[in-house]
Amino acid sequence: MDALISYLVNVISLGGTYALLALGLAVIFSVLGLINFAHGELMTLTGYVLLAGILTGQPFWLAVFVAVIAGGISAALMEFAAFRPVRNASGATLLMTSFAVSMLLQVLFQNGISPRGQAVPVPTWLTTSLSIGNSQISKVQIMSITVGVLALLALKFFFDRSYWGWAIRAAADDFEIVGLMGVKASRLISFAFLLSGLLAGVAGVLWVIQRGSVDPLMGFKPVLAAFIVAVIGGLGSLTGAVAGGFILSAIEIALQTWLPPNVMPYRDAITYTIVVIILSIFPNGIFGKRTQEKV
Amino acid sequence: MQRKSGPSKVTKMAVSLSAIMLVSACASGDGEATASGEATAPAAGAACTVKVGVAGSQTGGLAYIDVPNLEGFELWAEQVNAAGGVDGKFTIETVVKDTRSDAAQSATVAAELVAEEISILITPGDADPSIAAGQLAQDAGIAAVSWFGSSPILPLAVGDHMFSNAFGDNTQAKVLADHATEKGYKNAYTLGSPDSAYTNLLPGYFKEAFEANGGKVVGEGTFSMGQASFSVIVDEIKALSPAPDVIMTPAYEPDFPTFIKALRGAGITAAVLGTDGIDSPTTLALADIAEGVTYTTAGVLKNEGAMSTFFTDYNGKYGKDPETIYAVTGYELGLTLDAVVKQAQSCDADAIWQAWSNLEGAQGITGAISYKGGDRMAIREVALVEIKNSERSLVGTFSPDPATVPKAQL
Repeated sequence: MDALISYLVNVISLGGTYALLALGLAVIFSVLGLINFAHGELMTLTGYVLLAGILTGQPFWLAVFVAVIAGGISAALMEFAAFRPVRNASGATLLMTSFAVSMLLQVLFQNGISPRGQAVPVPTWLTTSLSIGNSQISKVQIMSITVGVLALLALKFFFDRSYWGWAIRAAADDFEIVGLMGVKASRLISFAFLLSGLLAGVAGVLWVIQRGSVDPLMGFKPVLAAFIVAVIGGLGSLTGAVAGGFILSAIEIALQTWLPPNVMPYRDAITYTIVVIILSIFPNGIFGKRTQEKV
Repeated sequence: MQRKSGPSKVTKMAVSLSAIMLVSACASGDGEATASGEATAPAAGAACTVKVGVAGSQTGGLAYIDVPNLEGFELWAEQVNAAGGVDGKFTIETVVKDTRSDAAQSATVAAELVAEEISILITPGDADPSIAAGQLAQDAGIAAVSWFGSSPILPLAVGDHMFSNAFGDNTQAKVLADHATEKGYKNAYTLGSPDSAYTNLLPGYFKEAFEANGGKVVGEGTFSMGQASFSVIVDEIKALSPAPDVIMTPAYEPDFPTFIKALRGAGITAAVLGTDGIDSPTTLALADIAEGVTYTTAGVLKNEGAMSTFFTDYNGKYGKDPETIYAVTGYELGLTLDAVVKQAQSCDADAIWQAWSNLEGAQGITGAISYKGGDRMAIREVALVEIKNSERSLVGTFSPDPATVPKAQL
């Protein structure tokens, strides 16, 4: 029973972060058909802004708030400076641009800040744990679950009730029709980047608080995981991004918990094999749209 | 379609380029040109330039180790050249190329440097890219030295021209195991990662040495470098019976801070032993969480004693204090090269290799460094450091008997 509680707590806390990251990717994919691999660097940037806020003596909540906002604004600026000039180019060009932005930011962090990771001092109340039954759950995990769930609920409300939420959902179905309905493409894309950056900001804060440090290459692994999550869920599907986050988390945590020690080094390989099996059953992802090409 | 019979534009360009390269190569030779066009090395003892090729990681995951090492080395080179060179006649020229923390790029960069007729090659501070780069130096008969790659399989995998500025991981594991035994710890848990030779092999060396001392490793965990969470591993440690009284891991940042935060957050108070990768301000900044963590390293980075002159000089050049011991080890690699060139009295790659192989008692900042009679890993003292009040505190320096150190095997 304790093992099950621990398993569920671990799955929900990691899955929530994956879902937030994948949603950030899915929102951009919806409007631009682009997987933005610089999304991870927005997380890293958020981490550095959080660190700066804490080191300059700001209250923790304020440092977190500013860091998340910085993620959103940086994403909007990224769209304006890097993606807008090539918006009508091919998908390959957009993808290369996202890699270039990612590399550029990594090198800027390394040379402008430090190639070494920086410890992020979080309040001591976050470093202890709570007892639930015979299980002990760290407060970082509790915070991670709470923030993740609240952010996902807020997003659902946003997508269901707001004009821009509807527009993004509609764009995920058919971007051209949204344009014909009178929604300005530039504003929709800018807004999508802003939203994606805010999501990267929330995920980045959770990631940094859990890991305790920020380093120039921090964003690579999470964005890779988020990409896999988005593919499992179905590229461009917002529901799929959330579901995919929890599915990948459930697979990773299950393997880490129950694989025999001598097989453990093959954990990542087994994870990706399971992902490939899922994709062979759902070629467009679990919630992906079926595409038909006219001959 | 008809083809033109004459040389194409591409062929003409290739021939022109080859001619330019040939002329450049002849013009840039360090040795004197003979009538036949062949270059000869300067006579032993004559003034010349030691060309040091640095295939280091200026960017990427290994930059945290290679960048400070290079800073320390360049400080040494600047000081030596200002004094007229080693022995007043052998000046140092450093050619730096970025390997981007990538093994394939390390090989490419090493090939470029070898083609530049370097006297010695410096490789990244990790075994995997160093093996890729070192093999090219080995084939060219040039000595290669890793900044601080501590896996003892490095020289075994490459050959007799590969050295490291670091003590072996088997040696530092032995120091940690002896410390654990002396502290009275009976049961240990080890946490490694298959992602690098360093994180993969160190737990095994520790286990061998600790169990030879009479201890028992009650659990062995693995992690993926950069993984999101260590909660599952912490749950696994909590469930162990008997509970470990010491946990040994070669994890370094960003994984070490994540692990120890999760460990202490779950209320586990077992002692934690780490290795040289965590000797950084990031670990110290963990404050109470890292209190009592004990680890092996090359020396205690403190602005006092033998290190104070280095602090002053480093600050004079870079306008900041060194953050990690790797700045010191980079400077020490320079001091080692100083002793080697004095011994070789030559800039010739083969003479430098031979002198490096037979080096005894080069004086570094943290102690003497030798290679003669060893396995081409630096024979140097291992410092054991404990974190107390967020500061480094020296437990002691150790030179374990090589006969008791776990053997390195490919």
